[in-house]
Amino acid sequence: MAVSAEPWRRGRAPWRRAAPEVGRYAVLLVFLAIFLVPFVWIWSSALKTSREIAQNPFALPETFRWENLEQAWTVGNFGRYLGNSVIYGVAIVGGGAVLACMAGYALASLPLPGRDGVLFVFLLGLMVPFQSVMIPLYYLLRDIKLLETYWAFIVPGIALRLPFGVFLMRGFFRGLPAEIADAARVDGANEWQVFRQIMLPLAGPGLATLVVFQFMFTWNAFLLPLVFVQRDALRPVSTGMMFFFGRYTADRALIAAGVTIAMLPVVALYLVLQRRFIEGITAGALKT
Amino acid sequence: MLTYPTPHRSPLARHWARYRAGYAFVAPALLLYSVFMVYPFFQSVYLGFTDWNGADPVKRWVGLANYRRLASDDLLWTALRHNLVWVVLGTVAPIAIGLPLATLLWSRPRGFTLFRTAFFLPQVLSPVVIAIVWSWVYNPIFGILNQGLDAVGLENVSRGWLGDPDVALYAVLAASVWAEVGFVFVLFLAGLQGVSRDLLEAATLDGAGRWRRFRDVTVPQLANVVNVATALLLIGGFSAFDLVFVMTGGGPANATDLIATYTFTEAFTQNRAGYAAALSLVMTAISLVTSVVFIRLRERGES
Repeated sequence: MAVSAEPWRRGRAPWRRAAPEVGRYAVLLVFLAIFLVPFVWIWSSALKTSREIAQNPFALPETFRWENLEQAWTVGNFGRYLGNSVIYGVAIVGGGAVLACMAGYALASLPLPGRDGVLFVFLLGLMVPFQSVMIPLYYLLRDIKLLETYWAFIVPGIALRLPFGVFLMRGFFRGLPAEIADAARVDGANEWQVFRQIMLPLAGPGLATLVVFQFMFTWNAFLLPLVFVQRDALRPVSTGMMFFFGRYTADRALIAAGVTIAMLPVVALYLVLQRRFIEGITAGALKT
Repeated sequence: MLTYPTPHRSPLARHWARYRAGYAFVAPALLLYSVFMVYPFFQSVYLGFTDWNGADPVKRWVGLANYRRLASDDLLWTALRHNLVWVVLGTVAPIAIGLPLATLLWSRPRGFTLFRTAFFLPQVLSPVVIAIVWSWVYNPIFGILNQGLDAVGLENVSRGWLGDPDVALYAVLAASVWAEVGFVFVLFLAGLQGVSRDLLEAATLDGAGRWRRFRDVTVPQLANVVNVATALLLIGGFSAFDLVFVMTGGGPANATDLIATYTFTEAFTQNRAGYAAALSLVMTAISLVTSVVFIRLRERGES
């Protein structure tokens, strides 16, 4: 594969400078097609009839059948599922952020006996797959009567993502100078005020990273709600749409419309906040 | 932190005065984590020694019987073989594609934002969306893969990709690689910001060709990113579940079963909670050992 990333090299004949550029864009455009064509195909299929989809995948719709989207929205119960996903997202991201910020702060800046032990337990949580707790957790949630409620996803969702959040926030708090906190203590602030009014605002960029990461995890989580959320009315969009697609496999236009509806909110958010998304993911992966 | 000596108080009171803030801040997270992650983990270990079916009031202790059965369970070995393919290709391929893509965009050429947005797009989507989209791509009747192959005269290559036991695993894996490339790509894009261009220029003046500059100058400076990407893809690879579950359900004839889908079936379709717990621990052990070995090797390589 041609790897040329040195535009600062000058002084060669124009055609020799242009050749690597052509090669570069040829490769980039091929990959652009590989990543976008499946989506464009699905989106255009969402506006066709099922018969048209079978005939020519690359043709434009004869007439734009917007009613497909409307029908999928109603039949697929997407209003309900998307609303549920928002509830889960707010609760898990919010609750998890509060707990992770507090614990991360303590593990970074407060005196604490057994700190290494606590860190080790959280570190194991980063490395152990969810499946190792999935089965007993299901029966635990059943026994404490949470299985038929929103909590069945919220509580384990927060717990599962705590190790990541704690390590991320600890990293950010460790980067803050201790003198600021000490100065506030001399001025008579208690520990909660030091945390809430001085240190937490300084960890803002870390918090933004955490929110982006946990939101994406929660919105796209699949196995966890698949196992724990079995009442259809409580399903988030990720598992809810799977059962919808399973029921209507034959109606291709309806499925394409459903996929499009499920994608739209996330894609819109991503296009608006894409730098946040990408920087959040990068920081989250490289800093924990 | 400032502390004031209070000599007239008991050691316990002093300990409490000094550490209570730390305890109070860690306690909520630690409590929730202990009840809903640590405790269930030990429950898994316990269940692995029983033949519990998820309903009986009594969990009968069977010792190592589950593990003896695992050793001769053909389906487990089939699943493990699939996981090996998944972990190796699913780690190597995204790096092998993502790294060159990142170097192509290193200098932020025209169209940079468009390319980056598109390559990363699958990362923000639900695995169910990706699974459905790729099931369509692979569909033998109206899928664009077969239609595209037919259009360029490769009719004999086209097939029912997800229905053919010989290729189904690779077809699902390709969808997974497609989705992971964007993640690795943005990591390398960030890593490349730290790569010295002076060194590259020096290598150019010394007459190093493009490939040698890439291999001997750029890649070594990205070692840290390669390590992070490898570790994350490895851990994800052992517990891979979503795409297989939605696209093939482990079929045809177990040709795409991974240890995670097998565990799920045993636990929640067959209701063999004890046996499934043992399965999940085998997965955990393999995943943990591999990541620890990888981290050790990496540390040795650095020192």
